[in-house]
Amino acid sequence: MNRPVLVVGGGPAGLSAAHALAAAGQRVVLVDKADRLGGAPILSGYAKLVPSGEWAKDAIGGMVKRVENSKLIDVRKNASVKSFTGGPGNFRATLTDGATVEASTTILCTGFTHFDSINKPEWGFGTYPDVVTTTQVEQMFSSGKGVRCPSDGREPERVAILLCVGSRDRQIGREWCSKICCTVSSNLAMEIREALPKCNVYIYYMDIRTFGLYEGQYYWESQEKYKVKYIKARIAEVTSDGKRLIVKGEDTLVKRPITIPFDMVVHAIGMDPNVDNMTLSAVFDVKLEKYGHIAKASTYANMSATSRPGVFVAGAATGPETIDDSIAQGQSAAMAALTAAQSAVSEAAE
Amino acid sequence: MDKRGDSQTTFTGHGSEWKPSNLTPAEAQKATSWVEARIDRRSMLTNKDRVEDVRDIMWQLEKDGEIVVHRVGDVHKPVMARTLYGWEKKIPTTNLWQHKSCGQCGNIPGYPSSVFWLMNQLDVRYLDETDQTSCTAWNYHGSGIGNVVSLSAVFLRNFHQAYMSAKSQGLPVGTYYPLVHCGTSFGNYKEVRGFLLHSAKLREQVKQILGKLGRLVDGKLLIPEEIVHYSEWLHVMRDRIKERQVVDVSNIRATIHPACHVYKMVPEDVIYDDTVMEGNRVAVSTGLMQTLGANVIDYSTWYDCCGFGFRHIIGEREFTRSFAIDRKIKVAVDEAKADVMIGHDTGCITTLDKNQWIGKAVGKVYALPIMADCQFAALALGAHPYKLAQLHWHASPFETLLEKLGIDWQKAKVEFEKYLEEVKAGRIETLYDPKRAITSGPGYVKPQKAIAAPAGGAE
Amino acid sequence: MTAQMTAERPAISDPTSSKPVVPYEKLEQVFEDIRSHVLYDHELHGCLNCGICTATCPSAHYYDYSPREIVQLLWTENLEGIYDAMQEKIWACAQCYTCAARCPFQNSPGGLVMLMREVAIKHGMQSAKDVLRPFSRVLLKVISTGNQLAPNMITRDAFPDWGPNVTKIDAPLNILRKAIPVPTMHTMDTAWEVNLKTSVELYSIWEATGVLDQLEQVDENLFDVVNDVMDEKRDEYKEWLEEQAEAAE
Repeated sequence: MNRPVLVVGGGPAGLSAAHALAAAGQRVVLVDKADRLGGAPILSGYAKLVPSGEWAKDAIGGMVKRVENSKLIDVRKNASVKSFTGGPGNFRATLTDGATVEASTTILCTGFTHFDSINKPEWGFGTYPDVVTTTQVEQMFSSGKGVRCPSDGREPERVAILLCVGSRDRQIGREWCSKICCTVSSNLAMEIREALPKCNVYIYYMDIRTFGLYEGQYYWESQEKYKVKYIKARIAEVTSDGKRLIVKGEDTLVKRPITIPFDMVVHAIGMDPNVDNMTLSAVFDVKLEKYGHIAKASTYANMSATSRPGVFVAGAATGPETIDDSIAQGQSAAMAALTAAQSAVSEAAE
Repeated sequence: MDKRGDSQTTFTGHGSEWKPSNLTPAEAQKATSWVEARIDRRSMLTNKDRVEDVRDIMWQLEKDGEIVVHRVGDVHKPVMARTLYGWEKKIPTTNLWQHKSCGQCGNIPGYPSSVFWLMNQLDVRYLDETDQTSCTAWNYHGSGIGNVVSLSAVFLRNFHQAYMSAKSQGLPVGTYYPLVHCGTSFGNYKEVRGFLLHSAKLREQVKQILGKLGRLVDGKLLIPEEIVHYSEWLHVMRDRIKERQVVDVSNIRATIHPACHVYKMVPEDVIYDDTVMEGNRVAVSTGLMQTLGANVIDYSTWYDCCGFGFRHIIGEREFTRSFAIDRKIKVAVDEAKADVMIGHDTGCITTLDKNQWIGKAVGKVYALPIMADCQFAALALGAHPYKLAQLHWHASPFETLLEKLGIDWQKAKVEFEKYLEEVKAGRIETLYDPKRAITSGPGYVKPQKAIAAPAGGAE
Repeated sequence: MTAQMTAERPAISDPTSSKPVVPYEKLEQVFEDIRSHVLYDHELHGCLNCGICTATCPSAHYYDYSPREIVQLLWTENLEGIYDAMQEKIWACAQCYTCAARCPFQNSPGGLVMLMREVAIKHGMQSAKDVLRPFSRVLLKVISTGNQLAPNMITRDAFPDWGPNVTKIDAPLNILRKAIPVPTMHTMDTAWEVNLKTSVELYSIWEATGVLDQLEQVDENLFDVVNDVMDEKRDEYKEWLEEQAEAAE
């Protein structure tokens, strides 16, 4: 138990894994390439999280503080792993800040990359400043500036949220569902309605996947309490007539093409595999699955394992994942790493 | 990455002008916080492990000895362009075999004339000949008469002729690279090439047919490395075209009508350029117009079809004219206050040009000059509106555009009518030596000596 | 006591529908022809019912037509619906392929419509013949010359709604054509001058690929005319080849 466990990535999964290990008395080295811990919720300025409604800076910020205050966790920011050798119980990682870490096991909590709507030019992002992403709307809330049209700062009267941007789309080779955007969008819709009571919010969808307990709390409540409207139409194009944005779809339930004006259009962007995954795969010598996420060695029995013994994985690094499930996976991976570290020690002792 | 005037700043897209939005970096922050070169971002985010590039199959088939690829070589002086996902596409710029459009040649003669004239201006070598069939796709899409085998056979027959045509002038095979004039042909050939590369069964069927016609190379099918549309040639040549510009077009408000079969068929093989609307709209025609200095105006139905319909324009014209007027012409006139609508396809130009007059019958009076990008470019370089751009075949009111450009069309018309007298007397001016137009078969005259090989050698 | 029939029992008839009943075997055969087309699996993978295709479809704006409906009919193997759609609906499609460009499943509803049109012609459906009747001049031109619309086909009679003048300069067509500075375009009955050899090659392609059979289905008279033109040109070409052979000796 002399060697620390190396945790790569300080987002929800990494923070959770590091804390769980420290709570069990295990030393940890936590590495993150950014200048702050917290991962996407902090770096991308998320506002209120689902389902608790806590602000990201409080909920995840609290997890960050807990880790930074722990005597057993050595936090290395502005650093990533550039080389990695050895075997279970005996890994050697060289960081970009020059330091080396001799670790017993490793947990990859390297997360995801937000889909960049530049890849779907026909949905208006990059052409019209009033076409924004869910992340940008989160930032409008978390920065305190409020929901305003970027072009001229006015309060929008009509907002459309387009679901599945960067997900469920073979045109761009992304055939997965990003799991959480339906719930996040319903949440944002309610927040917009609360902040701007005169604003009409429409959500354009193929399916609504507010799974589990989210169904009542988000899909039903957004309609009943906040009068958010849901139209079963995936939007085909976003253009402008000079006055407003024009959104074009087919209302598939009424079976009629629709062309509707809006002040602001929000892309519910998906979760892409981390852009660094090719590099990570090479450095850590772990396999990627077919869409480019880090592959889990097994689905059930050893779910935190990767293709390389002694290297574990947790959270959105493996595929689109919610924050709370990433946290759960972080703890699960911590347990797996801990037992692997202990057995390595006891093997060495024999 | 070279910058081009206003197109380097972010535009609001609202209102009838493209103007910079003056957003602070924080306000304009994109979804991801890291910043990388835009062009790399496109190809990195959707690269070839996510979406298939059919050319990878093509090279493998050639390696396996199944096909021969007609390469874009040094003799064609290619320029690299980038497509939707940031992949590279080689655009040949000289030694081009002109794959004509039947609709253009039949109905809009100024269209191909402008292309040839621009090529003459830029010292580009080309061959235009009689051994070419229509791609037959207009007929196929309109009537359903035809099938993927007939379309494939016609495709490869024409491209084989392009490959072989240089022999008639004593030059190595492959010297001339085919340049496709029509948008329908372009889309059709892109699609059909994809089918051929995916289906061994289809290749086998077509091979048998072409074998009987003597249209194989080393007993194998000849597939072109790239399928290139003339608008792509115009796009990569736009700076050189601008150098010869003599007419100021900065007071012109232009709307662009991109052709469905150009950018919606096999969309990954279409040019998107970061210097043209930041790569968010198809680059061809738009880039050229911006480079010439015209104001390209956004409008809400930019992506819409013109209503050509392939069949409808002949046999159900109320659909075509309703769509063309309501969805395109009216919007360009009322919303964008356009002086001209620019297209790059035969069917679109025909549809938009011919379907305005009938609007008078129902009180939908819109007068919008319609022409092809090459015709506009030719005018900007001083070409004669009637003798060269052949505008008299257009039903739309091109006269108002010429007035705005400061071109005295009445004088030009008189000159042309005088020229017709010359034509009646048999004194006809042509853009190239007519003898070169027949490369084999009846009428072919073998040149006395081989034409000097072009600089750069053969492929 | 039940009534006794004295008169002959009439044939069963359905007074609510004037359409003749199509036998199930025929419905199956039609669908099988569509489904077994070499391109079918390339154009249809599945459907999310997202509606993007119908959203951008120009025909959906003007007709009772929806590409999503066509895809759903095929995907759910709705034999009667498919047969019905082949009577009129599939001819509404403007073949713009916006649906194919945008479909997240990479289907091509426009392409599927083409397959259905081919099958409609193969089965000699009256709807196909009716819809293509105005297209017959074009069919004649394209099959016999390889060009689609010749200059002498654009007349005021054929296109009265295109405006009062064919050109804005009043001069005979042949002079106007010669005034085009492109030598291959000094023609009237084709868009450009097509070499005889080229036409003959094209005929071989039409024959070998079954296109002439399709034409026969749609318009027998036209088929006869085209055959005459083809025979004529083939003879002409044969003569030319013989002349070349003699000259070489």
